[in-house]
Amino acid sequence: MPRDASTDKPLVELVNVTKIYPPDVVAVEDVSLRIYKGEILFLTGMSGAGKTTLIKLICCLETPTRGLIEVAGRDLSRISSAGIQRMRQKIGVAYQDFRLLDKQTVLQNIAMAMEVTYTSTKVIRARVDELLALLNLSDKRDKLAGELSRGEQQRVALARAAANGPSLLLADEPTGNLDPTATELVINLFRHLNEKNGSTIVVATHDPSIYADTEHRVMALNKGQLSAHPNRSPRQIELFEA
Amino acid sequence: MQFLAYILRQTGKNLRQTWGTQVMTLLTVTLSVLLFAFFFLIYTNMLRASARLGDDVRLIVYLDQEVAEQMRPGLEKKIRDFGPVEKIVFVSRTEAFARLSAQLGKEKDVLNDLGPDFLPPSIEVYPLKTLNDLTKISQFSDFLLTLPHAAKVQSGSDWLRRFGYFTNLLRAVVLLSGGLLIISMTFIVSYTLRLTVLSRQGELEILRLLGATSAYIRLPLLLEGMLQGFLGSSLGLAALYFLYQYIASRFSGPGFLKLFDFAFFPPELTASILLAGIVLCTVGSLFSIRRFIRI
Repeated sequence: MPRDASTDKPLVELVNVTKIYPPDVVAVEDVSLRIYKGEILFLTGMSGAGKTTLIKLICCLETPTRGLIEVAGRDLSRISSAGIQRMRQKIGVAYQDFRLLDKQTVLQNIAMAMEVTYTSTKVIRARVDELLALLNLSDKRDKLAGELSRGEQQRVALARAAANGPSLLLADEPTGNLDPTATELVINLFRHLNEKNGSTIVVATHDPSIYADTEHRVMALNKGQLSAHPNRSPRQIELFEA
Repeated sequence: MQFLAYILRQTGKNLRQTWGTQVMTLLTVTLSVLLFAFFFLIYTNMLRASARLGDDVRLIVYLDQEVAEQMRPGLEKKIRDFGPVEKIVFVSRTEAFARLSAQLGKEKDVLNDLGPDFLPPSIEVYPLKTLNDLTKISQFSDFLLTLPHAAKVQSGSDWLRRFGYFTNLLRAVVLLSGGLLIISMTFIVSYTLRLTVLSRQGELEILRLLGATSAYIRLPLLLEGMLQGFLGSSLGLAALYFLYQYIASRFSGPGFLKLFDFAFFPPELTASILLAGIVLCTVGSLFSIRRFIRI
């Protein structure tokens, strides 16, 4: 369910954020955005619009050229490297290029996310099985990641991002390689995380099918600039203006 | 507990992934420790032998004529005035002949045609054990040569000096092999760890993205170095012990080993070498971790 933006504190706040890659490629320009706890936000836009950069900025993989980014009330530019690592344990990120280890099994790839938090093997096994069942990948558990199809790898990357029940999940083009059935499974996973764990979910996508009927906020990025999506519903307009 | 289990599991995984290099490293560490410990063992035994030989110093003043009985107290006083002496024994030609005859045992017949005159009378001076410095022995020897009718002084200082030179040479070899040990252990372990890091580059990158802490990534690598040090040093010392046992059993007659009362390292020294091996290998792994892992 969408949260009431007027009463909640933002989990993520970007204030006049600009990212320029050398020599002078402007990826994100003067973006201000608040993402609230428990919210599902869709970031749309063409390829090269700046969606991936925005995701990377939020999870500290990039630093802004200008502007301020706060996650859970903490200014990212002032967090130590150890602090960033601790923060990353609470943020699940599904990368566009998956970043899986091809020579490790699906189980090992997903387990990595939980091992860094020293979760017990028993809990890891149970959680991996649960996630694989949700994404219809149970029979792939012991397969090497490199032997899977692109669509399956994408779902494994999502399962890894969701493994720790993160307070913030960032998904970059999570349905880029999926058929409608698999897309539905992914949307269900997001819903499950959002409703059961209260996870905040940010989905960067250019696939309209996953946000077409949503009542959640949809924002559009165009050449690095953020605006409300042009085909928004009255509820979305209300949320955007809030 | 979970943390420890992870660290051990990850260390095992690292060792399996680069087992060929690990075995080579282990052999290098083992050989370095064996080489160093071998020379060190000889050196420590030589030092002990040297100390014992110093304790047994005896200066013999050969005279060109017998010392009359009434002259003896005067000579004895003169010697005692020069330096600390435990005892002084005057040996006449007849006593010297009797001694030689006793030493020859069944072969004493060879002396049948010889009288005691061919042996010189002598004074045997036994300095106190505190006189173990070669320079002092030499000075004492020079003084004894100034005694009336003294023809020659045999102090064994030449032999002791040569023994001292050999011990010094051995010390240099020990230092050299020690230096070699430090270089080989730190560099080889550092190099092996570098290979481990390179072979896990992709995994380490993903671990960083997933929020792995510095301890999570670095400790297994550090433990890997410590393990190399422990196993390599243990194997090197064990090999030396078996070598020592072999030599001791083969040469356990009246010979070199008996003469020097050859002994293995005491437990404290063995533990110290083991610890030094672990520390050196850990330092080697720290080099690589600091250089190749950025978190």
